[in-house]
Amino acid sequence: MSAYNANWSLMTPEIVLMILALVIFTLDFMTGMSRNKPFLGRLSILSLLATTVLVAVFNRETGQIGDMFVVDGFAMVLKIVILLGVAGVIAISMYYVDRHRDVYQGEYYSLLLFATLGAMLMVSSADLITLFVGLELLSISAYCLAGFKKYNGKSTEAAIKYVVLGGTASAFILYGMSFVYGLTGTTSLVDINEAVPTLFADYPYIMTMAIMFMIAGFGFKISVVPFHMWAPDVYEGAPTPVTSFLSVVSKIAGFGIVLRVFFVGFESVYDEWAFIFALLAAITMIVGNMIAIVQRKVKRLMAFSGVAQAGYLLVPVATMVSLDMTMSMITFYAVAYLLMTLGAFAIITLVTEDTEDDALTSFSGLYQRAPYLAIAMTIFLLSLAGLPITAGFFGKFYIFVGAIQAEMLWLAVIMIFTSIVSFFYYFGIMKQMFMRDPKPNDDQTLSVPKPVSAVVTISLVGTIGFGLLANVLTNYFNNLQWFF
Amino acid sequence: MIQNAWLIPVFPLIAFVVLLLFGRVLREKAAYVGITALALSFIFAVAVLFERIGGETYTFVVDWITFGESTVTMGYEVTPLNAMMLIVVTLVSLVVHIFSRDYMHEDDRIHVFYSYLGLFSFSMLGLVLAPNILQLFIFWELVGLCSFLLVGFWYYKPEAASAAKKAFLTTRVGDVGLLIGIVLLFNATGSFEYADAFAAVEAGLISDTMVTVIALCIFLGAVGKSAQFPLHVWLPDAMEGPTPVSALIHAATMVAAGVYLVGVMYPFFLASDTALTIVAYVGAITAIFAATIALVNHDIKRILAYSTISQLGFMMLALGTAGYVAGLFHLMTHAFFKALLFLGAGSVIYGVHHRQDIREMGGLWRRMKVTSVTFLIGALAIAGIFPLAGFWSKEEIFASVLANGDPFLFAIALITAFMTAFYMFRLFFKAFTGEFRGDHEPHENNGFMTLPLIVLGILAVVAGFVNAPFTGHALEGFLTEGIAVGEQAHGGFGLAVVSLLIAIGGIFLAWVIYGKRSISEDFLPGKFRAAHRLLMNKYFMDELYTVVFVRPCVGIGKALYAIDRFIVDGIVNLLAVVTRSVGSGLGKRQTGQFQTYGVVTIIGGIAVVALAFMLRGYFG
Repeated sequence: MSAYNANWSLMTPEIVLMILALVIFTLDFMTGMSRNKPFLGRLSILSLLATTVLVAVFNRETGQIGDMFVVDGFAMVLKIVILLGVAGVIAISMYYVDRHRDVYQGEYYSLLLFATLGAMLMVSSADLITLFVGLELLSISAYCLAGFKKYNGKSTEAAIKYVVLGGTASAFILYGMSFVYGLTGTTSLVDINEAVPTLFADYPYIMTMAIMFMIAGFGFKISVVPFHMWAPDVYEGAPTPVTSFLSVVSKIAGFGIVLRVFFVGFESVYDEWAFIFALLAAITMIVGNMIAIVQRKVKRLMAFSGVAQAGYLLVPVATMVSLDMTMSMITFYAVAYLLMTLGAFAIITLVTEDTEDDALTSFSGLYQRAPYLAIAMTIFLLSLAGLPITAGFFGKFYIFVGAIQAEMLWLAVIMIFTSIVSFFYYFGIMKQMFMRDPKPNDDQTLSVPKPVSAVVTISLVGTIGFGLLANVLTNYFNNLQWFF
Repeated sequence: MIQNAWLIPVFPLIAFVVLLLFGRVLREKAAYVGITALALSFIFAVAVLFERIGGETYTFVVDWITFGESTVTMGYEVTPLNAMMLIVVTLVSLVVHIFSRDYMHEDDRIHVFYSYLGLFSFSMLGLVLAPNILQLFIFWELVGLCSFLLVGFWYYKPEAASAAKKAFLTTRVGDVGLLIGIVLLFNATGSFEYADAFAAVEAGLISDTMVTVIALCIFLGAVGKSAQFPLHVWLPDAMEGPTPVSALIHAATMVAAGVYLVGVMYPFFLASDTALTIVAYVGAITAIFAATIALVNHDIKRILAYSTISQLGFMMLALGTAGYVAGLFHLMTHAFFKALLFLGAGSVIYGVHHRQDIREMGGLWRRMKVTSVTFLIGALAIAGIFPLAGFWSKEEIFASVLANGDPFLFAIALITAFMTAFYMFRLFFKAFTGEFRGDHEPHENNGFMTLPLIVLGILAVVAGFVNAPFTGHALEGFLTEGIAVGEQAHGGFGLAVVSLLIAIGGIFLAWVIYGKRSISEDFLPGKFRAAHRLLMNKYFMDELYTVVFVRPCVGIGKALYAIDRFIVDGIVNLLAVVTRSVGSGLGKRQTGQFQTYGVVTIIGGIAVVALAFMLRGYFG
């Protein structure tokens, strides 16, 4: 097969998104330096929605381009999740950049779109090289975005830390991959999967080392303990919509490649690495939840909450009974996580911007200032903590049932006990919203801009809807062919 | 009518939605929305009960979620047990709705209060109607959430806010057990339906150990919700909520959900002797433990709260000694007379201008006639005086414990009954007789507050008749129909006399000390100073939990956070230092001397080759 007879139509959504991103980039040049450009935001959202439709149309059939780029159920679902997530992030950003004239608008949106492109490439690649290119496209865009408030010390510090530590993580991944390539002579995940059982028998140490290096590097991208330490600083320093991008889109895409690499590339040696993930999941849930208790700033709290959530998502990776069930659990929780986290961040952005303060106390009296937001936030938090009748409850329950079926009782018990701890800190925010009076110098009512309220409403409907009618998603997932 | 049982929880839900949308407009009229909804629910519940008495269990389910190969259903079910519960919940909720109209009318947020009450009633009724244990769990969590909202209703009181949080988090510990039990049950049977679980046990599909483990996990949920030892600590603090809430949630309905859960899963518990014994012992320990604390407390609501814990312990004790009907019968009678006592306490608190300390009351008998008489009826009922409701149900419990044959449990039951009579009448004599010791002259309240007291007062008298010998133990026949719960024990005339004498003994001692004052109040505490101090401090359980759980959790969090900060800042700073020093170091190397370059190159080359050899394994 050559480049001429490959089925390029499979890549239609990616190609279209790239062109649209370049158009937006160019439009920005043409419209001057310092103007407020809300149309770029709207255009970006439209581009993302158009791409989502294309994904739904062109990725329905499975297919591949020379073992490099694959389209399958897994790629399609994650792409839709990512695209809608970024659309939400942009809706929040439009409010944010309106208030911050030091954030230069055009580059901001096009960087977000390029990052999205990287994420789409990541979840669709069946080859270590394509995968790495996608990862770096996402990461480098994200480094820039983290430091987007150029004149703000914290933002710059966040970007520097993110670049240095993120670069180290990429180095780890590459180092691990180079061992794999050296031993197998191929970068194709399917071929690797065939070769690894014998290699594990012959070179157990080198193979284990290679896997460990990759886990360390990927662990950084999805912020699991002990590779999570960048998260609080970067989350705090980055502009809040970018924080939501990092915690939602970047993390889900990161999970995408973890699943792709390990369930396609190393599936044949599942027993060799499953236990490592079980341990990581356990310490991630414990450490993430414990540290979150003592946080006093909402963005740092959400960073550790996100660490803990990554721990829950790792549980099914470590407790596979059947691949279909595991994928169904993780994807369901990913959807729930997208909805509740994005909704929460929309409100956090609004509140922290309005009060110009990111301490937990910025939420005080929110119920009196904006009852709808306070109730919505409560539901997102309850969903994150895992209370019925939310999508978060059902997702956790599903994972929990899976862990028990795999007879990993200890992991299931850790999961459920750490989730009680999480009530402790989520209640901290609820207490501020309902049980404190508004601060005297805040406005008595908080006006909610339309894009933010749209994100909140959609997330709210999804969070409750998928909690009540989880069947809609699980039935669909049960009939999906996950991997090509 | 029974097909429309689903409407019973829907009415309060509608009230909740209406008040959420129009509460601000309705303000005080919100009370009527709630009252109407609950009145409708009550009427439907009565109709459903009557239809169920003559008819059969009605189940309506639809498929909800597919879990691998098994399907989870949702719907509703009317069994004898939950038909009875529907009456208890709707009736108590209705009278509490009526009572709150005046009790809460000074509060600006009365519409919010009524909307929470509606949400709670919906959740509690949903819990009762649930046809499978997963659906029960969902409503189980919802009632917990409502309890949180209502306990923290006066959030501007710091005690209320922290009590709300404590209540929620403590019961969560039990809920974890319940969730683990549910999932283990699902893993063992592939279903969440009650019937499937019982069938699997009967067919011997689950190993004995597993049955015990699952039963105990489920029981842990009941321990949290029904405030059994050692998770009882939240209930006394929950008294920071408005008094009608205490009557509804923390006396009659939600806290009884744990007992109800054990009742619903009873065939499962019967399959494991170990589990039953543990249930019995936890119940017995809770009963006596809480009763001793109630002996010395001075807060009218807290005394009642400890009394509730103790009585819930009694119900567990009954269930643990194979007294299925006895436990659930006591659940029903207790709901009526304890709601009566709490509303009576609410009426008193309102009458004496929001004082709760019984040392500041006294002499209310002449000033608040209706409240006093109904309170006396409630106190007599809980003490177990013939022929009031408590007498019949308590006597059944004694019979069940006696038939079980464990003398230790029987002794605890008798001692606790004595204490119950004593502390209730200590409260009664101190608050209602003697001279008034407060500073605001108390007054009787009007109809909206006294009517519920009269209704509950009548029930506290007659509710016991439904399972009395002269009605042929009608309730027993109804509840045991169609399920295998074993033979139910009955006491004879002798046991009735013993239980009556114990109650009278307790009341007499209370009268001697607090009524007639022949013995000084300070005599016994002075005699047993250490014991008194222990009881005044509630056995130091709160302090113990703070030291054992709360502080270590926060401590570990802080320590981990410090390590985190140290490492991440360490890495970044180290990189900066290394880069800088390497930079300046390299600068020194670039001295322009060819020899030095050469040496560096060779050393570097050797290092690279050595590294390559090492990795190839030639040296290792």
